[in-house]
Amino acid sequence: MDRNMKILVVDDFSTMRRIIKNLLKELGFTNIEEADDGATALPMLKQGHFDFLVTDWNMPGMTGIDLLKAVRADPALAHLPVLMVTAEAKREQIIMAAQAGVNGYVVKPFNGPTLKEKIDKIFERVQG
Amino acid sequence: MEESEKLSRLIQARALVAALEAHDEAGYLASLNALAASQTQPMFEAVGRMTREVHEALMAFATDDRLNLLAEDEMPDARDRLRYVITLTEQAANRTLTLVEEALPVADRLMDRAERLQQALGQIRQSQVDNVALVGVITELAEYLDSVQQDGGALKTRLTDIMMAQEFQDLSGQLLLRVIALLETLEGKMLGLLQKTHPVASEKPVALTQAALSQGLGPGVPGAKNHSSAAEPIKNQDDVDDLLANLGF
Repeated sequence: MDRNMKILVVDDFSTMRRIIKNLLKELGFTNIEEADDGATALPMLKQGHFDFLVTDWNMPGMTGIDLLKAVRADPALAHLPVLMVTAEAKREQIIMAAQAGVNGYVVKPFNGPTLKEKIDKIFERVQG
Repeated sequence: MEESEKLSRLIQARALVAALEAHDEAGYLASLNALAASQTQPMFEAVGRMTREVHEALMAFATDDRLNLLAEDEMPDARDRLRYVITLTEQAANRTLTLVEEALPVADRLMDRAERLQQALGQIRQSQVDNVALVGVITELAEYLDSVQQDGGALKTRLTDIMMAQEFQDLSGQLLLRVIALLETLEGKMLGLLQKTHPVASEKPVALTQAALSQGLGPGVPGAKNHSSAAEPIKNQDDVDDLLANLGF
C-alpha cells in the first residue's frame, strides 16, 4: 500500500474529520484533504487525482451515498476505492451502500484498529 | 338494537309494505325515506359531535396564549440552546484534539530519543566490558530507556483513545440536529395552525400577550373574549356548515 496516496476525508463534523485524519496519520498516511459534504467533495475528486475516499453518510447538501453513486457513475472515478465511516447502521442502508459499490463500511462509534483493518482489506483486494 | 328502536323499525317496515300493497306511491316513498333516515341520522349526529369536538379543541388551542409563546418564543429558544450545546461540545472536542495532537509528538520524541540512546549505549557497553562500574550504570540506563519506550507506547495508546472518545461530538451533534429539525417542523406546523385558527393572536407581539396575562385581562383578540360561547355546543346543521366553511372545507 502506498503511504503517499492522496486521501479525501468527507464528514460534516470537523471533529470527526480531525479524528479520521489523525488516525490515518498514525497509520502513516500524510497526504490527506478534507471536505464537509458530497457537493464539496465531488469537484475535488474530479480535479484532484485522489487515490482513496473516506466518507460519512449523513451530511447536509449531498449525502455520502449520493456521493458514492456519483463517483461510480463517473468513468474517471468509477474505480476509486471508497470507505464509508458512518453512524447509519440499518441493514437496508448497508445493503444499499454495497449495491452502490462501496469498498468498506465502518460503523461509528469505531476505533483505530477497525479503520486500519478495513483499509488494509480494501487495498489487498484492490491490488490483489 | 334496542327493543324500542326495533319496534319503530317494524312499524316503518309494515307501513312501507302496506303502502306498496295499496299502490300508495307517496306513502311508500315517505316510509322508505323514514327508514333510510333512521340509518343515516346516527351517522350525521356522530359527525356533528366530532366536528363540535374538533372545533372546541381548535378554539381552546387558539386561545391558549401559552401555545403562542411556545411556538413563537420558546421553541426557537430551545433550538438556539441545542445549537449552543453543539457549539460547546465542538469546542471542547477540538480543544481536546488539539492537546492530543500536541502530546502525541512529545511521546514520539521521547520514544525516538530513548531508542537512539539505547543503541549508543549498546555500542559503549561493547567497548567497555572491563569497566564493571560503567557497565552497571549502562545496564541500569538501558533498563530505564526500555521502560521509557514502553511507557511512551502506552501513553500513545491512551492519547489515541482520548482522541477516539471525541467521536461523541459527531454522534451527539447528529442526534441534536435531528431534534432541532423536529422542533423546526413542529414550530412551523403550530404557527400554521395558530394562523388558521387565530390569525390575530399569532401576529401579536408575545410581550403584549404576556403583559396582558400578568394583568389578568383578556387580550383584545377574537376568540379569547368569546371563549365561553366558543365552548357552547353547536346546535344545528347551519352552524356545522359555517364552521366547516371557516375551517376551509
